[in-house]
Order: sequence, then structure tokens, then C-alpha cells
Amino acid sequence: MNRLNRLPTLRVNPSEKLTFNYIGSSCQGVKGDTVATALYANDVRIFGRSLKYHRPRGLYSMDGECSNCCVEIDGIPNVRAETTLLRNGMNIRPQNVRKSPDTDIMGFMDKMDWAMPAGFYYRCMHKPAKLWPFFLKQIRKAAGLGRISPDFHMKGRYDEIYPNADVCVIGGGAAGMTAALTAAGQGLRVILLESRPWLGGFFDYRTAEYTPSQEGISRTLCERARELSEQLENAPNVRTFVHTAMIGAYSNNLITAFQTGNKSDAFDERYMEIRAKSVVVATGCIERPLLFDNNDRPGVMQVGCAHRLAQTYGLLPGENAVFSVGHDLGLEAVLDLYDMGVSVACVADVREDGQDPHLLEKLTERKIPFMRGWTAHTAHGSKTLEKVTLSTLSGAQHREFDCDTLVASAGLTPVTGPLTLAQAKLAYDNHTGFFLPEKLPEKMYAAGRMLGLQSPLSIETSGKLAGLSAAADCGTSLEHEIKQTREELRNLAGPVRGSKFVTAPVRGQKSFICFDEDTTVKNIDQAIQAGFDAPELIKRFTAAGTGPGQGGIPGHNLPLLVSQWHTDSGLAVQPTTVRPPLVPTYLATYAGAKHDMCKRTPAYESQKKAGGVMQRAGVWKRARRFSDDIRCQEEVENVRSNVGILDASTLGKFRIFGPDALRALERVYVGDMSKVSEAKIRYSAMCNEDGCLLDDGVVVRRGENDYYFTTSTGRAGQTVEWIRYHARYENWDFSIVNLTDAFGVINLAGPNARKVLEKLTDADVSNAAFPFAGYREFAIRDTIPVRVMRLGFVGELSFELHVPSSFMQTLWELIEDAGKPLGIRNFGLEAQNLLRMEKGHVIIGSESEQRTTLHDLGLGFLWYRDKPQAKTVGAVALRQTEHQEGRLKLIGFRMEDASSRSPKDGSVIVDSTIRGYVCSARHSFALNEPIGMALAEPQLADTDTRLEIFEDSGDDRLYAKVVPMPFYDPEGEKLRI
Amino acid sequence: MKVYQRCSPVSFSTRPLKTEIRDNWRVVLEYENEGSGPYLIDLSHLPKWDVQGKNLSEITFQERAIPENPGQSELGDGFLINRMNRTQASLWHLNGENPEIPNIPAFTDVTESGVLLALIGREVFSIAEKLTSLDFSDPEKEAPFLLQGPFSHIPCQVVLSDRETPALLWTCSRGYGRDMAESVLAAGEEWGIRPAGENVFTGWFQKLSD
Repeated sequence: MNRLNRLPTLRVNPSEKLTFNYIGSSCQGVKGDTVATALYANDVRIFGRSLKYHRPRGLYSMDGECSNCCVEIDGIPNVRAETTLLRNGMNIRPQNVRKSPDTDIMGFMDKMDWAMPAGFYYRCMHKPAKLWPFFLKQIRKAAGLGRISPDFHMKGRYDEIYPNADVCVIGGGAAGMTAALTAAGQGLRVILLESRPWLGGFFDYRTAEYTPSQEGISRTLCERARELSEQLENAPNVRTFVHTAMIGAYSNNLITAFQTGNKSDAFDERYMEIRAKSVVVATGCIERPLLFDNNDRPGVMQVGCAHRLAQTYGLLPGENAVFSVGHDLGLEAVLDLYDMGVSVACVADVREDGQDPHLLEKLTERKIPFMRGWTAHTAHGSKTLEKVTLSTLSGAQHREFDCDTLVASAGLTPVTGPLTLAQAKLAYDNHTGFFLPEKLPEKMYAAGRMLGLQSPLSIETSGKLAGLSAAADCGTSLEHEIKQTREELRNLAGPVRGSKFVTAPVRGQKSFICFDEDTTVKNIDQAIQAGFDAPELIKRFTAAGTGPGQGGIPGHNLPLLVSQWHTDSGLAVQPTTVRPPLVPTYLATYAGAKHDMCKRTPAYESQKKAGGVMQRAGVWKRARRFSDDIRCQEEVENVRSNVGILDASTLGKFRIFGPDALRALERVYVGDMSKVSEAKIRYSAMCNEDGCLLDDGVVVRRGENDYYFTTSTGRAGQTVEWIRYHARYENWDFSIVNLTDAFGVINLAGPNARKVLEKLTDADVSNAAFPFAGYREFAIRDTIPVRVMRLGFVGELSFELHVPSSFMQTLWELIEDAGKPLGIRNFGLEAQNLLRMEKGHVIIGSESEQRTTLHDLGLGFLWYRDKPQAKTVGAVALRQTEHQEGRLKLIGFRMEDASSRSPKDGSVIVDSTIRGYVCSARHSFALNEPIGMALAEPQLADTDTRLEIFEDSGDDRLYAKVVPMPFYDPEGEKLRI
Repeated sequence: MKVYQRCSPVSFSTRPLKTEIRDNWRVVLEYENEGSGPYLIDLSHLPKWDVQGKNLSEITFQERAIPENPGQSELGDGFLINRMNRTQASLWHLNGENPEIPNIPAFTDVTESGVLLALIGREVFSIAEKLTSLDFSDPEKEAPFLLQGPFSHIPCQVVLSDRETPALLWTCSRGYGRDMAESVLAAGEEWGIRPAGENVFTGWFQKLSD
């Protein structure tokens, strides 16, 4: 196809060729082409097939308002050909076709519409229910858009930016550019977003005259657009982002968008979050589709599509065209296309009057037949358009015209998505026929054509007014200027009367209101007959507007059509809700560049080197185990019989100090914290207001009013706030410092632990000098300061060494060297889990859940009830629940058959009903049988009670019996050696 | 005597050219192929203190008062003092001999708690914009100033030290050190960011002090 290559409006460079592949054939486009225009230039008219009926579909809107032009590019499905710029070497394939777009063997589905009325999948295929999976599979096979494999690797560079601005302008047409220049003129930082790859909007592709009577200089709209664009380029405080689609608006003017990069950018797509003090929405209008029979036939396209195809890309939409329009832009397009060489058989205008007389004169000059009050009635042609029937609005008269292109549009409709996302309520405006905001959200302004303005000067002045108003929101005093500009705007041409026409006088069986979901006017009728009376419900029942086009095509017509059925009911015409993202994009774009930030302990490298299987646990990456054995037998047995080291650096660690530090501790810990001493650790727990266990850890006193305490890993992030929150009404003087990352923690555990430690320090670590539950501070190798606690979480002699993080790696290696002759080895979280379970020690979150109190876990002894003045968090609830009946209790169990496997964590304990659940269960190597802990009803808590355990994976029951805990070393002798 | 080495949470794959042992830290003074900026510099070995108290205005250090308003920072005598909130401030010792922490309960040594990184170069604002919504370009704020919030999705204290020769200094939990450095290097790749040794920072600091 030849290009018109001397147009002033052209945005392609015909001399720079690009090569791409389309279904195995090598094709050529030019620089600046979209994939859609390049395909069109290569005579592709059928881009794909429709979702349900496999109807041929072609170029329609040019802005990706429907799925007609979704194609697969380089393996990525559902790419919008209309908005994707062509690149060299692209491999393009059509979607939803069997064989080829021209000859689709599923095309017979178009004859099956009688079998698929509105909501057929809700009504027909669930009886009998057994057949539903079969139909589901068949429907999914037959329908759908692109296909992607679950393991598809998305290539490309995806990035993110979070810019700040005083004013964010959405829409780079004349109004948006003027608003941006005006706000920037006040010295403010401005961001301008434009979804197309260039600025200009409705001015960009038009050669109509701009301000013929002013300034005495004749300019075209296109020239004016480029003049404004140039001014923006030279404005130092304006950042313009083109090819950037706004996708969301949130509170406090947080605007989200994504930008498509070009060859010179460091990204293919990038996600944007813009924080602005004020926002101007100047997104203009899209066209409201005209509904008539076969309105989806390739060859039928919107006015802007045909006009831009020629003016922007140098491609004529066809040779013989018929126009059916509803606004003056349609008449302007007729003249331009005629002058470029398109033969125009006839122009039908749904408006009886109100056309621009100058445009009508020009039509007459060119002898183009013009029919007022006529509309497209039916498009004919088996695959592409061959003929069109026009009719009067009432359908009383018909005429037929041969043509290959039907340019059709019912009118314009504003792009109000950004406003509605910001919670603006829309109402129908009878003059413009637009849904316009009744009241704009705070610090948000609308400007331009979306308000119904048509005159270029009015559009720019409204932009200026919005720019000034937005600037005023940023603290600039502009009352006078705003008043003056408002007056200027009042003296210019106001909003024009819009066409309200929706559908031709047809039965609507093949009049598509939503191309994406193959929803017809008849389907809407069926939904109404079924009792659905609101567009929001009809949308769901018929799926109209739920496809990739995000309601772009049916968004305005659906409520208008529905309102025609409800003229007497008094229901207000309401458009359906729009939600972000307004324009769909890749998940990869949302994921951005670096999305997995995790914490590593200071001994991470040593553990990885030792074969640690590092897994994400909350914010940390931790060693789960050190071998392929998921039961970790050797790690566990080595701790029980020898010595092992565990990295416990993720524990929360805090310093709390100040005259009222003890009061704060007494408030949040259930124990008697006044007994905390300098040489001894005190184990205690924190509860929430309901007496449920929240956290546990140890506290030591390191000086006067100066304490060091630990928390569980999961609570480390919230502890400071928790304590401050519960002291918020007290005028206490205390401070807390989070030292979680400041100290690495090594748990040296096992009967030989002392032998290892003794090699590293001169300090006396004998049981006499440093007994169980003791706390000491000394130096390793006279250099490395450590805080050491004698603990017993895993049930063996244990030293927990808290070491400055920067020394952790070195100390870890020293311990490994010192323990080498003894056969020291690492143990990970899985081994620790079994070791502590054998000892009957709970892990919060494993043996407790939101409703589990201290009493339920048998930890009531930790609660010191004689400190009412402390107002300990949870104390009231602990008192109330102490003897409360029916609470689940923590129990230990062994399997009846010692040779059986252990039940899965979370399995339920049943008889005729659910009586509890298994918290953790593992095979104990020390006992050589499976053991576990469960939360069960108190009636099941007695020793030797038989438990029936049900797993979700099968019908077989497992049986266990309740036993006392701890399972291992019940006297605790091994901790005290 | 054997040196028991202290390790930074950050390590770059670039080869160090000059190093020195300082207080058991192995400090890299210069890396191979540092380029001409922007630079990412690991300063985790520099002392960082937390100061907390009911009456911060009564606390002075080396005769310097803590800035009055949250978000204010002050640079002087090698220290950067940042007012975080009503009751809390942070002190980072950026240049000169390591001082002793004052023997006052309000002070806690948090050198080990966090990674301290510096980003120096003209492209600082562009790189930062890829990592955070914190507004360092706000013309109404006078440098140096402190902003607290997510930087590469992680809670950080970030200070813009200077607008003329822009530099960001920030600290976050030590455990994030590796991922933080990686994400900054990735964000700055399009501007040719390189890891640099302490000498680049010292040079920048001295220029600033002059």
C-alpha cells in the first residue's frame, strides 16, 4: 500500500523501513508505525476472531479501546496492535483463530448465537452439575483470546519511578499542554502524561484552521499543537512523559501510570507512581460507537481511526467510503479523506441540525451527498465490508451503497476514567450528552474537550483556567488571574450540543455493543427481559464491558441503551463503575525492577557455603536444613549427642532504658519484671488485650534502668510500637532502641557445647560459674565482645551468643574451627523445630493462633497476677479465661502405632465433629516414633485419650493417644549440665 | 597479632585496589574502575549513634545541639546530626578519627544495626526517583535534610547532603544491605553507576567542608 508521505501531520518516517514477520511472511512497515498500521499497510484487514462467535474483526478505534486488534507478539499474547509501536524483527501472530484469520474453522460459531443468549453459562450448563466441568473445558477451548504457558518467561526490561510534582496534568492535548504551561509559569514542578507517543491530542492530526480571526496569522491546529509542544520542551520545570497511560488515581492525588519505552530508553515499560499536590485531567474524548447490524465487520471503523490512519500514518483507510457520523469531526474527516483521494459515496449524519455550516458548504463544493437524520443500518459482506445499507432514524427509508470502508460514529464521549477513579460522581448532561462529574474531587480539575468544548480557543482557555486553579492549590496566590480567565472562558464558545443517538432501527441480533465479549443489543434486551434493570447488573449478566477494552467501547452506550428501556421508571442514567488499571499492562511492569528485598543474617554466607538450603521465612532468608534429608536426622542427632550451631540472628533484640523502663516492661510482659537481675535471664511472654499469646522472649538487666530483651522473629518489627502504644497515655520517661540487626545470634547447643566454648574464651563457663538461665558478658579471643545466655530451647546444654553483627562471620568460623575435632555441624530451622517439639516448647504461630491464651498453652505460670498497678496488657482477659470452659488446650500425643507416619501439620482431630487440630507433628529420632502437639477440646486432654486424626489428602484415619509433655528429658537434667 | 575481622553487610563484585584495616574493619579505599560517577559507597563501618530522650534539646554533643525540628539535619565537625522525631535523633560520624560514644544513657551505638551507603553524583535525583517516592527535589527544603520512609521498598533514614554536588546518605537495617546495594546499582546502571571506595566519599566530604 502506498503511503501519503508529504503530509504536515505525518508521524511516521516512510524512508526508514522496518521488517517484521506476520504468520510466517516477511512484511515491511516504517518507523513510527504501530503494529496495527503496519499490518494495515500490508493489506491485513482481519486482525483476529472474536471471543465467542469467532467473527472476523479488524481495525476500529486506533487507541486500543477493544480487543479487535489484540495480537501475539514475540510469544506475548493480548498485545494491543493499535498502541504498540512496530520494531524491527517482531514476530506477530493473530489470536483466537484456527487456521488463519481469513479462514477460521470455528467461524461456524457465528451461526450459533441462538444457543448462547445472555447469561447462558449461568442458566444452562449447571444442570446436571456433573456436566459443568465438561462444558467448561469445551467453552474454554473454543473461546478466549491469547494463550500463554504458565512457565512463560517474560523477557524485557521493566522499571519503576516515583516522581513528585506540584501539578500533574493527565492528557497532552491542547488543554493539557496549556494547563501544564500555565502551572509551570508559576514556577511549579509539573508532570504531563500523554498516552500517545507524542503530544497534541485532537489538534495533532488536523489541518483545520486555528484562530482564523485572531492575531491575523493563519495556522493549522496541527501547527498549533507543535508550537505548544515546543514551548513545553523549553519549559525547564515541566517533565513530559509520552506513551504513558494513566492507570490509577488514589487518595492524596497519587496517580499511577505506565510508560512504554523506546529504543533509546533503559526500559521496555516502566511503572510510575506520581505524587502531586494538584491534578488536571484533560483526557479529551473518545468516540461513542454507532450501533447497527454487523457494526463489527472489518472495514467499519471510527472517524478518528480513519482520519488518523490517513493524516498520522499516511494510509488511506480504503478506496470507496461511506460515512455515518454524529459530530463535526466526522464531517472534517470526510473532507480531508476526500481531498486525499478517497471516493465518498455518501455522508449520513444522525443529527437533524447543528452541523457547522462551513463544513456543509465544503461538502457541497465537493458534491458529496449529505443526508441529515440518516444512519448506517446494516453492513454487508461475508468477511470484510462490501456494501452498507443506510436508513432514516425511524427506519422508514433505506438506501444501499457499495463501499469498502464505513466510517461510523454516534458521537463523542469524554474519557472520565481518571475522575471516577478519584471518586467523582458522574451525571448525565442533557446538553452535551456526556456523563460529566457533578462535583470534582478536591484539588482535581477538568479541562478541554472532555467538558464538551469544541472551539480551539475555548479548549486552551479551559486548560489555562485548570492550570491556574491547580497552581493556586499549591499555595500560589492567583485569585485575580483565575477570575479573569474564568471571564475569558465565559465569553468564548461553550460546550456544543452532543448527539444522543445510540442504535439504528434494527433488531440488534448482530449489533455489537461490546466487541470484546461479543455482546449484542439483543443480549441487553434479553438481560432486561430477565429482570436486570441497572447497567451494573446487566454488565455482569451479559459480560458487556468486562473484556480487555475495559469498557471503552460499551462504556457510554450501555447506560444510554438501558435508559431507553426505563423511560418511565425514573431510574437515573448511570454509567458502570471503572476500576484501575484503566489501561491493562503486563504484570512484569507492576513487578518492576527489584521486587524481592529480603534480609540476610550476618552468617548467611557461611551457612550457604556449608550447603544450607536457604528459604524465605518472613523478611529473612534462613537455612532450613543442611542436607537433602528433609527430616534432618543427622542434624538432630548431632545436637542430641554432640554439638551443633544454629544461626538465630533473626530474633528481635532491644534495649529499653530510662527511669520508667521497668514500668513499660511491667505493662507489656505478663511476668514480674521487677525480679529481672543482671546475671540472670528472665523468660516471659507478652499477651494482647484478649490474653492471647503474642510473643515470648527473655529479659536481662544490664545497668540501672537499662534492659536488654529479645522477642520472637515475627514480632521484632512491631515491638517498639507495641510498647509505645501501650504506654501512650502515661507520661513515662523511657526509650527503646531496636537492636535486632545489631547483633548476630549463635545457638551453640549439645552436650559438647561447653567444650567448644571453652576453647574460645578465658571466661569461666562451667556449670557452677555460669549455670542454666545465667547471663554473662565476656570476650571471645580477647577481642570479640559477646553477650551470652544459658538457654534450652532445643532441650540440651545451650549457649546463646549475641555478637556484634560485624563480628558474626568471624565468630561463626572460629566456632566451626574449635568444634571441628568434635564433629560440630550446622543445624537449621527444621532440625530446631523437631528438637524443641521433643522438649514440648511452643513456637508462637505453630502451637498458637489468634484465640490461644497463655492458659491454653499451659503457660499460665508465667503470669504474675499480683501487679495490678502495672495494668499489664491482657491481665483482665487472663483472669476471665483462666477457668473458662470449652477452650482448646495444648496436648502432646504419640501415634498408636509407633511404626506409622506422623500426621500432617494442620490435620483435624475428629469424632462425629471437629474437636481440634494438629499443630506440629514429626518423627522423633530420640524416641524413635512419631510425636506431635495439638490444640484440642479439654475433654480430649486427659492422658491416654484416643485421638482420631483426619487428613485432607485421604479418607484413612490416623490414631494417636494423649501423653504428657515434654516428650524428651522431662526433668530438664540435660539443660543443667 | 591475629586480626579478627569485622565484615560489612555489603560486598561488591568489583576488585578492591586499596584497603586498610581500621578498628578490625577492612575498609576499601578504592575500587578498580570506579568511573566518573555516579558512585555508590559503602560506609557501614562509620560510627552511627542513636540518641533518645524526653528532652532532646538539653542534650548536646561536642557543644553541638541537636536540630530543633524533625527532618532537619546539621553537618559539622565530621558529624551529621539528624532530628528524626520529637524524642529521637541520629548521629553519623562521617569524617575524622572515630570518637568515643558519650557515656550518657541517651546514646546507643547502632553502628552494627544498619548499613550506611552514600550515593554521589549529578544523577542522584534520577536514581533516587527509581527507588523511592521521597521527594528530594523539593525546592522548599534546604539541604542537608532528612527524610524517613521507603527506599527501594525498605524503611530508611535518607539525608540529602548537598544540592550543588548532590549526595544521598542513607541507612537501613543491616540485613537488607546486600539487596539494597544491588537494587541501587541496578537502578543506576543506565547512568554508569560504579561502586567506589571511601576515598571518593572523603574527597566529596572535604570539598563540601571547604
